Amino acid sequence: MKYLAIFLVVAVVAVFANLVHESKMLSYLSSDPKVCITCHTMNTHYDTWQHSSHRNRATCVDCHLPRDSFVNKMLAKARDGYHHSLAMTLKTYGPNLRISNDAARRIQDNCISCHRETVSQMLTNSALYDKVEDGRVQMGRPCWQCHRDVPHGTMRNLMATQNNFINKVL
Amino acid sequence: MKKSMIVVALCVVVLVPMALLTISIKENKAEQQAINAVPGIKDNETRASEWGKNYPRQYDTYMQTRKSEDITDVLKQDPALVVMWAGYPFSKDYNKPRGHYYALEDNINTLRTGAPVDKITGPLPTACWTCKSPDVPRLMKRDGELEFFTGKWAKYGDEVVNTIGCGDCHDNQTMKLTLTREYLKRGLDAEGSLKTADATHQDMRSLVCAQCHSEYYFKKTEWDDKGTKKTAMVVTFPWNKGFAAEKMEAYYDELNFSDWTHQLSKTPMLKAQHPDYETFVTGVHSRNGLACADCHMPYVREGGVKYSSHKVGSPLDNIANTCLNCHKGTEKEFRATIDKKLARKNELAKIASDVLAKAHLEAAKAWEAGATEEEMKAALQDIRHGQWRWDYAVAGHGAFFHAPEEILRTLGGSINLGQDARLKIRIVLAKHNAVDYVAPDFSTKEKAQALVGMDYGKLVEEKKTFLNGLRQEWIKQGEAKGIYDPESRKDMKLKTSYN
Repeated sequence: MKYLAIFLVVAVVAVFANLVHESKMLSYLSSDPKVCITCHTMNTHYDTWQHSSHRNRATCVDCHLPRDSFVNKMLAKARDGYHHSLAMTLKTYGPNLRISNDAARRIQDNCISCHRETVSQMLTNSALYDKVEDGRVQMGRPCWQCHRDVPHGTMRNLMATQNNFINKVL
Repeated sequence: MKKSMIVVALCVVVLVPMALLTISIKENKAEQQAINAVPGIKDNETRASEWGKNYPRQYDTYMQTRKSEDITDVLKQDPALVVMWAGYPFSKDYNKPRGHYYALEDNINTLRTGAPVDKITGPLPTACWTCKSPDVPRLMKRDGELEFFTGKWAKYGDEVVNTIGCGDCHDNQTMKLTLTREYLKRGLDAEGSLKTADATHQDMRSLVCAQCHSEYYFKKTEWDDKGTKKTAMVVTFPWNKGFAAEKMEAYYDELNFSDWTHQLSKTPMLKAQHPDYETFVTGVHSRNGLACADCHMPYVREGGVKYSSHKVGSPLDNIANTCLNCHKGTEKEFRATIDKKLARKNELAKIASDVLAKAHLEAAKAWEAGATEEEMKAALQDIRHGQWRWDYAVAGHGAFFHAPEEILRTLGGSINLGQDARLKIRIVLAKHNAVDYVAPDFSTKEKAQALVGMDYGKLVEEKKTFLNGLRQEWIKQGEAKGIYDPESRKDMKLKTSYN
C-alpha cells in the first residue's frame, strides 16, 4: 500500500505537470494578446481588434482588466480565467458571448481613463444632470451603446470571421 | 497503513478529474487546430476559382473586374500616335486597359501580338506573357527563368491560360503577399532606395503591383543551356540610376539601347511602358505612406469580417470608401478636382504628340531631300529623348493623378525637346531646298496608318485566322492539361478595336 501511495503521488505530480504544460497555464500570466487566442473562442474578437485602430494603442488586457492595482488585475484575471475554463470544458458557451456586469464596469473605467480629456465634460454633465440608467458603469450609460463597432465591429458572432489573421500570428 | 490509504484515496480523487481535464484540453486543441488551419492551396495551382473556394469574398470581388469591359481605342483618340510609333507594334493597335479579368484575353486579341501559326512563329518574344498570368511564375519555376524568356510568344500559348490571379501576388501556403517575379527584386536592389529585403507589409501592398505596373525593357541575354547557345529576352527594369524619366533615359543611352528604329525618321527609339510605380513614389500619396492597395483595393466590412476588395480599378468608382476615408469634401468636388488634373495633362500631352509626330514626318522629308547622318544626328537624339519623356508621362495608368507635378514637368521637357528637334530639322530642310515642307495630315487613325504604309486589313484578317485556329487549340490543350479554368473566361465576348 505504501508503494502504491508513493506511486500515486508521483503520478499526481506527473499528471499535474503535464496538465500545466498542455494547458499552457503559465502563459496566462502574460499580457500578450496572443494568449487570449489560445482557445479559438476568441478568434473573432482578436481578429476584429487586430483590424481596428485600437490595435496600436490598447491590448486585450488594457481594456478588459482593471488597471488600478496589480492585485485587482490578478484577482480579476483569476476570476475570469476560472469562468472561461469552466465554460470551455463544459461547453456551456453559445456562439454569441455577452459581457458580464463586472467586466462592463471595468471596460468603461478603462475607456474613461484613456479618453479622459475627451469625456471630462461628459463626466461632469452626467454627474450633474443624468439619471443613472445602467448602474454597472460610470456615467450610467456604456460608451459602446453609441460606439457600437469599437473596436470589435458590429458582429461578434464566433463564426463571423473565417479565414482570419489568426493562422498568421500563431 | 491508514495514512497510505488516505493518500491513495486523495490521489485517486485528484487524479481522475485531472486526467479527464487533460483529455478535454487535448480535444479542444485538436478542434482549434482544425479551425485555425490555413486552407491549403496546392503548389502551382493557378486557377483562381480553386483559390476562391476558400476565399469567396476576395474571389467574388476579383471577378468583378470583368465589369471594366469597354474598349477605348487610343489610336483613334490621338492618331498622332500611329505616326510616332511607326514601325513598332503599338502603331497597329493600342487600347486603354480593361480590368484584370481581361488582361490575358486582350494580350491575345491585340494586333500587336500578331498571328502566329505554330510555336515558333509570331513577331513577339515569350516575355510578352510575363505580366498576364500566374502561369508565368509556374513556368519560370518549371523551366527556369532564362528558358522562360527564350523563344517566341506562341511557345507558351497552351501553358499561359489563366488571366492575372491569386498566385501572382499570394503565397499558396501562407496567403502572405509575395513577389513572384525575380526581375522586380533585381530592379529594386539596383535602384537602392528600397531594397527587397527591407520591404515591410505596407511596402508589399505596392510592390506586388510593381511587378507589372513598371517600366521595363527586354534585355538580350546570351545563355548556355547544357551546351546549346540560346538567347533570352529578359524583362529588366531600367532603374539603376533612378526612377525619373531623365535617369532612365541616361541608363538607356549608356547601353545604347533602342526598342526599335523609327520607320519614318530613322530615330533609335525608346518605348515607355506604364511606369506606374516609379511615378507614384514621387507623388504626395506615396510620400504620406500610402500603398497602391489603400486606394485601389479599399477595405470592405461585412459583419465582423474585414477584407480588401479585389476589384482592382479606379478609386473614383468608390470615392466614399477611398478618398473620403482621409479627405474632407464631397464626391462631386473630388471628381471636379481630378477632371481638372486630367485636363491639364491632356492639354500638354496633345501638344507633345502633335509636335513629335510632325518632327518624325519632317525628319523623313529631310532624309528624302538628301540629309546626311551627321546633319540629322542631333535632331534625332532630341526626338528620341522628347518622345521617351512624353511616353513616360502618358503610358501609365493615372500618373496624372499619382504624380501631377512630375508628369507635367516631364511633358514640358518633352515639348521643348520636340520643338528643338523640329528647329534643327528645319535648318536641314532649308539646306536641302525643302524649307517650305508642311507635314501631311494625320488627323484620323486611317489617314495616319495609310501615311506609314500599314496594311491594316491584312493584319486584321491574319489575326482572325489565328483567333479561330491556333487560339482555340491553346484553350483545348490547356483544358486537356487540367490547368485551364473555364470560369476565368465565363461569358467572354470578343471585344477589340477591330471587330
